[in-house]
Amino acid sequence: MITSTSKSVILWGFVSIALIVLSAPTIVVLGSSLTAGNMITFPPEGLSLKWYAAILRATDLRDAFLRSVFVSAVCTIVAIPAGTFAGIALAKYAVRFEKAIQVYLLLPFTIPLIGSGIGLMLIFGNAGVLGQLWPVGIACCVINLPFMIWAVTASAASLDPDLELAAANCGAGPLQTFLYVTLPAVTPGIISGSLLMFILALNEFLVSLLLVDARIVTLPVQIYNSIRSIITPDLAAISVVFIACAVAAIFLLDRLVGLDIFLKSK
Amino acid sequence: MRAARTAYPLTWRIMDVLEAFAAFVWPTSFRRAIPYLLLAPALLLVGLLVLGLIQIGDLSLRTLDTSTFLLSENYTLANYRKALTEPLFVVVATRSLTGSLIVTVVTLIFAFPYAYLMVRTRSAGLRKFLLIALFLPFFIGQVVRAYGWLIILGNQGMVNEALGLIGVAPLRLLYNYPAVLFGLVQYMLPFAVLMLAPALTAIPEELETAAASLGANWVHSFIHVVLPLARPGLVGAGLVVVTLSLTDFAMPAILGGGSQDFIANAIYDQFFRTSDQGLGATLALMLVALGSLLVGIVFTLFGAGTLAMGRARQ
Repeated sequence: MITSTSKSVILWGFVSIALIVLSAPTIVVLGSSLTAGNMITFPPEGLSLKWYAAILRATDLRDAFLRSVFVSAVCTIVAIPAGTFAGIALAKYAVRFEKAIQVYLLLPFTIPLIGSGIGLMLIFGNAGVLGQLWPVGIACCVINLPFMIWAVTASAASLDPDLELAAANCGAGPLQTFLYVTLPAVTPGIISGSLLMFILALNEFLVSLLLVDARIVTLPVQIYNSIRSIITPDLAAISVVFIACAVAAIFLLDRLVGLDIFLKSK
Repeated sequence: MRAARTAYPLTWRIMDVLEAFAAFVWPTSFRRAIPYLLLAPALLLVGLLVLGLIQIGDLSLRTLDTSTFLLSENYTLANYRKALTEPLFVVVATRSLTGSLIVTVVTLIFAFPYAYLMVRTRSAGLRKFLLIALFLPFFIGQVVRAYGWLIILGNQGMVNEALGLIGVAPLRLLYNYPAVLFGLVQYMLPFAVLMLAPALTAIPEELETAAASLGANWVHSFIHVVLPLARPGLVGAGLVVVTLSLTDFAMPAILGGGSQDFIANAIYDQFFRTSDQGLGATLALMLVALGSLLVGIVFTLFGAGTLAMGRARQ
């Protein structure tokens, strides 16, 4: 409830600053990608799509993008079953050592990314799979897995256990109950969780940086390597690809489960 | 025959075969093992991290022989001594710790009103707009966002060009400590708001109305009603922001330009520039310990807040 004038002035003051700070980089990257000049300048030197044409011809950028998509796909395909089953187990069953398992499953968040990344680099190095792309996908899955589990437990917790008992009472076997009652109930969680996993893996930078070599750089690493030399508008154009993916993910998330799900009190 | 088929459709037949198969490979007496079986893939995946930590621990006990560039065979604690006494690492650690505390305070100050307005507003359109403005940067990734700041704040960037138009000499806005902290605040805002929002949703609006009807103005009801009830959210958000900004790599690397290294950058340099993997592993392990200590203290003092998973959350 917002009634008092002084309250809404202060509230809006903070929120406007936050909005500007949140949106400024996105808007500026979008604007710079449309420049007609060879340098990023302000005010921009006219509008053109020539940098988009340039990135279509740049095979290194396109390959890096395709590698990023592959990494995200591996990450999501592994995360869906692992996260869904773990989420259902945590939400529906009395598990022994539940506290310990919770703490253990939160390890990807409590271990700093640089620690996880270097640990996985050593593990994959010993296994001799470093230099391939799929370990990067597995690594992205491991470090973001709690997001998937959260999404599923949130849905599973709202499923009334009596529904499953009712299904069993009507003659459904355990498998049928799972497929027709439990799984549909957690589907919104699976959808939002896997979208999150995909988009986070697409953007994952530090773990990619540690696990890739020069032959298999992913797009965030490619951009990082390029902005350390010289900032050209083609980087802005390729960054717009990320913005487009983010917009698509938000649209899907909103359509399929509704963004409001993130405001629900747990 | 036809009647039999409608009474016993194909999907049922398939289901029955599958049920029989499931009952054969997994008899009811094994039922108690089901939750553990369901948990197994996730436990195995996270197990990779544990194995990684063991590897890091092993490396941290070996020193680098600078003449042969090989790691020693026997274990010593020399790396830990070096990590604790080397002035450079002390400087980097202090910089990261102060930085993450400043970032946390500033982020929470801005995230709280944002989350509050998002939860309390009557307008569904405004709520959706605020959510989209939040998710867009969250889904874009650190590198692209840092790239945007380079365009805005660089020496020939937008701010300086605009200042030039009104005759102000270019300012050095990048590659310093405030630039890194600014970038981190922007990176952390969505995390903080998303951790705070559920906690604020859980506070009934009637409580604020009741406080107002008893004569409290909004400042009083904010301090005595909303803030204390929002504590689980504040704990969760603060914890996430402290640990993520303390251990961040990209913002110090891109907006700090190599002069404002945080702990993660120092670790990276040990592995890939100096090639002293032993010392790098030591620093990494100490950072993991520091992060776990922070999480442990906050969890024991305030509980898991909004971070808990599954049944423990209810």
